[in-house]
Parts: sequence; structure tokens; C-alpha cells
Amino acid sequence: MTRSIAQLVEAVVAARDDIAAIRSAAQLISIVEDAPERLPELIQAISRLAEASRPRHARLLLGVTGAPGSGKSTLVDAMVAECRTRFPERRVGVVAVDPSSPFTGGAVLGDRVRMMRHATDPKVFVRSMASRGHLGGLTLGVRGAIHVLGLLGCDVVFIETVGVGQSEVEIAGVADLVLLVLAPGQGDSVQLLKAGLMEIGDVFVVNKADKPEAAKVHAEVLAALELDKQVHAGEVDPLSAESGDGSQAGDALAFERGRCGRVEPRACLVSAQDKKGVVELVDAVEEIAAGVAGPSHEESGLAGRARDGFGRPAGRTSSGHRTVQAVACASG
Amino acid sequence: MPARVPKPRILIGKPGLDGHDRGAKYVAHVLRDAGYEVVYTGIRRSPEQIVDAAVQEDVAAIGLSLLSGAHNVLFKRIIDLLKERGAGDVLVFGGGTIPPDDLPGLEKLGVAAVFTPGTSAKTIIETIDRLLAGRAKP
Ligand SMILES: Nc1nc2c(ncn2[C@@H]2O[C@H](COP(=O)(O)OP(=O)(O)O)[C@@H](O)[C@H]2O)c(=O)[nH]1
Ligand SMILES: [Mg+2]
Repeated sequence: MTRSIAQLVEAVVAARDDIAAIRSAAQLISIVEDAPERLPELIQAISRLAEASRPRHARLLLGVTGAPGSGKSTLVDAMVAECRTRFPERRVGVVAVDPSSPFTGGAVLGDRVRMMRHATDPKVFVRSMASRGHLGGLTLGVRGAIHVLGLLGCDVVFIETVGVGQSEVEIAGVADLVLLVLAPGQGDSVQLLKAGLMEIGDVFVVNKADKPEAAKVHAEVLAALELDKQVHAGEVDPLSAESGDGSQAGDALAFERGRCGRVEPRACLVSAQDKKGVVELVDAVEEIAAGVAGPSHEESGLAGRARDGFGRPAGRTSSGHRTVQAVACASG
Repeated sequence: MPARVPKPRILIGKPGLDGHDRGAKYVAHVLRDAGYEVVYTGIRRSPEQIVDAAVQEDVAAIGLSLLSGAHNVLFKRIIDLLKERGAGDVLVFGGGTIPPDDLPGLEKLGVAAVFTPGTSAKTIIETIDRLLAGRAKP
């Protein structure tokens, strides 16, 4: 007995308990994962619901990207735990994307291994997805999953990207904030920053602070962010800007891009494994989120974009005025 | 990669206390190479964790790797939990050192297939393909 999208949407909302809601939500995600072209049908079914007594979309979409092995999944696990402690009554969602084999189309999806302690928590929903040939770090099903997790009542949704590297800018068009995870021993992390990932990160998380080399990576990231700031400040022609320092021109551009123009990138040192610095990281994320969210939340602010999909141009090269902030987190 | 109807998703889990994951990882990779999307959940999972994950992942099948000797109890618990969650249609298969005498009992429980050590990749794939045929999503 396969149920239609509309029936499943009703079933999620009318479910008598968490288990029933979760099962319907999971089936709904599968439908839009296998047939992404049916996304409008899903969105319509959700919007047709009787006057919402609670929001039907997540308050905060958090992208988590970075090289394989940097600790994205472990970090998501730790942040989910912190969110659950902080807001025990709120639901948390995770969508984690791993690559499909280009040869067979098969995939081993392993992100969940790090998050299994949450499996039996009815307030945590984790969904693994294969990239299915989609380049850019996500997969077509992610959009549908975000809608369904919003419908299910998730307050925060984490989106973990494939993490293959420099082309993964798509996440910036989907998430409200992007956490870029770096770790010592991941090759030259600063090289990664230079190669285009700099622009998509809102919070640069230097993970594995329990390793001695992490402090050096943290310092490098701070230096790279500072340099980025100077370079972009220099790009603005002082004559065309109203004020000499060019900051207003920067503001205008950032505003046009509709995202995080007001967000100053931060660098944060954490150990996801030892749960050090995670509280401070969630503090930083919540602080940024509070600043970004505004009265126009519905249409243009947090999570509003996700309804329109991957459309927003990635990058934020114009925010030349931003200042670098180091968040005091754990040391080794 | 050409567009295709995706094969059903399969969750591989390893309940029980021993820490050997070679069998589970082997089956995961065999199935991946046959074009399946496999959700790997790691070792030492409780039946509750495996079933709740399977429901969230909306998999068509769960494959259990069992070496610990508690297979009869664990299979039964997982099949019971699936029914409790309204997910009794999820196929359950297993692999590991399971004595031949136990196989009829497992079949009666509803375990769809058991791969004992030495089962070829080809046999695993053919069996899973056959069991999941017709479950391909519309
Ligand atoms: N030393 C150390 N290892 C970590 C830390 N966080 C994650 N790892 C390890 O790094 C490896 C990759 O972690 P994972 O979360 O799967 O990374 P992902 O590929 O980016 O999702 C695993 O072996 C983790 O145990 C940390 O804070 N410190
Ligand atoms: Mg991962």
C-alpha cells in the first residue's frame, strides 16, 4: 500500500505518536529522493495543510562541509547532542550525503556510524543519502528531505556534504550558515581555503583540537581570514564608495546576495571526539543565527531560501568589511 | 552516471558484543558493487538502534552480521520491533557463523536468507536481487 505524497504529509501531521510520524516522514523523503521532480507536489501539499499550529519549516539549516576525514559526522553527532541538551523539547534533523560509485551507482553510506547513539532518540531524525551522480556536494533529494524534516517539526537541520573538496559550494545556497570543518593532517588546509572554500564558510571549525598540530591550523585559518578581509577591503574602489573605507559598498553587495552579509566569519577550535569546544561552537552558531534571522524570516531569512532550492549564488566575496573573530574554545 | 531507477536501500547492522566488522563491511561492499545503496551502521548496535535507524532510512531490507551466538534472540527481537514500528514489510537477512540446525527456526521467524561464511559474492547478490525484486520503487 503505497500512499500518495498528500496522504503522507497528512500522516506526518496527524500521527498519533513519534514512531508513526517518523515512518511517514521517512517514506516521504524516499519519494522525493527517487523523484526529485515531485518536489513542487510536496511543497504544495505542505502549504495546503490547515493553518499551521507550528512552523512547517526548520528554524535553522546548518551546512557542514570539509574534507573527508576532517570529522564532519563526529561534529554533527556532538552538535546534535548539545542541541538536544539545550532544547530537550525540540527535534533535530540530519541529512548526510556520501558519494555514489560512478561505476555501479551503489554507495556505502557511513556517516550514520558516528551518530548511532541518537538512533533511538525519537527527537532526532538522521537520513543518509547517496549523491547519485550529482556534483557539488549534495544530491537532489536533499531539498525534499529539508522540507520533510521541517514538516516533522525539526528546529535545526544539519546538512553534511560529501566533502570531496573545492567544488562543494552548493551547500552555501541551501544552508543558512555553513560550518567548514578543517583538521590537522588533512593536507594543506590553507590551500583548501585559497581554492574557493573560503567564501562559503561562516564558521571555520578547526577540529581535532586534541592533536597538537591543531593550534597551528587554527592560527593559519585566522591568518587566512584576516588576509581575505584585507584583500576584499582593497578591492573596493574608495572613490565609488560613499565613505572612504569602502565598508558601505561592501554592505550593499553583501545585502544583495541575501545571505549572511552581516555575519563575520569565525574560527573555532574544537575536539568533536572529546566534546571540547562544542558548547562554545553552538553558542556561536546561535548567536549568528539570532543576528541573521529577522522579521522577514518567512520570505528571505533563515530557511526561507531552502524552499526555493539551490538557486542562490554561492559565495560571498563581497563582504570585505567583515572582521575576523576567534572564538575561544578548547585547546589541546 | 546514467539516470536509473535506484535499487532499494539496504541497512547493514551488527548487533551483539563482539567487535569484528569484517563480515558486515564485506557484505556492504558486495552490495554496493551490485548497485545498492547501503546504510552502514557499525558494530555493537542494539536491536532498537538498528530498527529505529532502518525506519528513518526507509530501507527495504536489513542485513545483520552475527558472530556472537545470540542470533536466534537478536533476529527475533529485530523482527518483532519492526512489526511494532509498523515496518514489518522490511526484509531481514543475515550472515555469520550460524549453525545449520538453527536455519529452519530462523526461516520460520521470517528471516529471508542467511549467508554462512564462504558464501560467494555472486550468491549474495543473486539472492538479494531475487528477494528484493518487485520492491523497486515506482
Ligand atoms: N583525534 C580526533 N579524531 C577525531 C575527532 N573528530 C573526529 N575524529 C576522527 O576522524 C575520523 C573521521 O571522522 P568523521 O566524523 O567520519 O569525518 P568525516 O568524513 O568528515 O565525516 C574518525 O576516525 C573520527 O574518529 C577529534 O576531535 N579528534
Ligand atoms: Mg561523514
